[in-house]
Amino acid sequence: MDQPVTTNPFVIMLINMTVVFIVLISLSFLIRLIHVVDPTKPKEEAKTVEAPQPIAPPPAPVVEEPVEEGIPSEVIAVICAAIGAYGYSAGQIHAIHPIHNNHAWEHSVTYPNKRLSH
Amino acid sequence: MEVINAFAVSLESVWLDSGFYSFTIGNGIMILVGLLLLYMAFVKEFEPLLLGPIAFGCILANFPRTGFFDEMGVMMAINYGIKYEIFPPLIFLGIGAMTDFSPLLANPSTLLLGAAAQIGVFVALLGAMLVGFDVHEAAAIGIIGGADGPTSIYLSMKLAPHLLGAIAVAAYSYMSLVPLIQPPIMKALTTLEERQIEMQELRQVTKFERVVFPIVATIFISLLLPPIAALLGCLMLGNLFRESGVTDRLSDTAQNSLINIVTIFLATGTGLTMSAESFLKADTLLIIGLGLVAFMGGTAGGLIFGKLMCKWSGGKVNPLIGSAGVSAVPMAARVSQTVGMQAKPGNFLLMHAMGPNVAGVIGTAVAAGTMLAMLK
Repeated sequence: MDQPVTTNPFVIMLINMTVVFIVLISLSFLIRLIHVVDPTKPKEEAKTVEAPQPIAPPPAPVVEEPVEEGIPSEVIAVICAAIGAYGYSAGQIHAIHPIHNNHAWEHSVTYPNKRLSH
Repeated sequence: MEVINAFAVSLESVWLDSGFYSFTIGNGIMILVGLLLLYMAFVKEFEPLLLGPIAFGCILANFPRTGFFDEMGVMMAINYGIKYEIFPPLIFLGIGAMTDFSPLLANPSTLLLGAAAQIGVFVALLGAMLVGFDVHEAAAIGIIGGADGPTSIYLSMKLAPHLLGAIAVAAYSYMSLVPLIQPPIMKALTTLEERQIEMQELRQVTKFERVVFPIVATIFISLLLPPIAALLGCLMLGNLFRESGVTDRLSDTAQNSLINIVTIFLATGTGLTMSAESFLKADTLLIIGLGLVAFMGGTAGGLIFGKLMCKWSGGKVNPLIGSAGVSAVPMAARVSQTVGMQAKPGNFLLMHAMGPNVAGVIGTAVAAGTMLAMLK
């Protein structure tokens, strides 16, 4: 192993923290740049430069399926809020069923909870 | 008489070749350590998927005369995977495939929290040098504060391979104790009002952004810090499998079969480095102590920067997400969520905390790359 540039811990700390911050700040600028040049951005953001669009046919009414019995309203509120955190509205939820009625979902929901941390 | 003599000589030979003959007190202590780790893994369920094979590897490593590393065999092959840093990047491939980068892309400012949490790495480095470790050993010990197992192993093998066992055990033990270590620090450094802050909904991230980011990040970081190109490259490749939408089979393999297989090898191989002669030293206790300092320092660094961001944003950022800057994906983000919910039921911080959590993974790898560039 070669001789290190410095063995002063304060200098190592200062240089490393500076590099870490510079790299991550640069990454944040790159992320913003990707967002700016994104050609697939939602139309609301590009509305000002777009020509008027023909009126789209009204969307099909969302078929509200009943929530399965036995699910407390607090649980439904929590599910709506969690889905909201992903940027969707509660109106887009079609149905809420307990996972024990569906083995595929039960597997996919419980497995990640047992996955390892790294 | 000749038969009896032959019988006695044979028996003596079997005895002299047996492990019992060469068994030392140190081996016995390390087997007990292995059994304790097995208990923690399987009964207390502290990171059982990792601590289990580490513990069993530790027990195997302390049987004398096994000749594991004398000639090529499965144990030597596993050891090569660690020695030549093959397993950590493959683990990163799986982590990339399992992790959703969208929260980070929706709120890139959280990258700063991932950077701030790296302070723990350097606090531990400083402490390690003060207690007498040389700079290479101190850097390898400090990276425990990043709470990132693969990166800890990667850097240890490059800078201080003789400390690998102690560093890996400390890193994975503290990662499993994140739900116990972090909450008291989080509550001590934040006020109830700060913990109750509800953050705004994150914007939707397009597929274009999710696909382009791993490519751009790989190019940028690999050109800047080539020593970590394998780690970061695999992390981003795994994420690209996940986000491309046309490589579902590869993504599925990376985040399930591959990562499980590599975890078995990596963890068992780490345990195999815990032989009595390399582990039973005062240094091991120091490393475990310094690892705790690193972890606490990282958590505090993220939280303090979270508080600053809270002030700068006019109270829009909940500082609790700062503690997730210490990688430990996804457990640290879950802890932010839990503590936030305790302060205010219905306060969902999980998605917001995933931003600094992913940033912490990148930040720890960058810190490792910088130290490699400086110290190698």
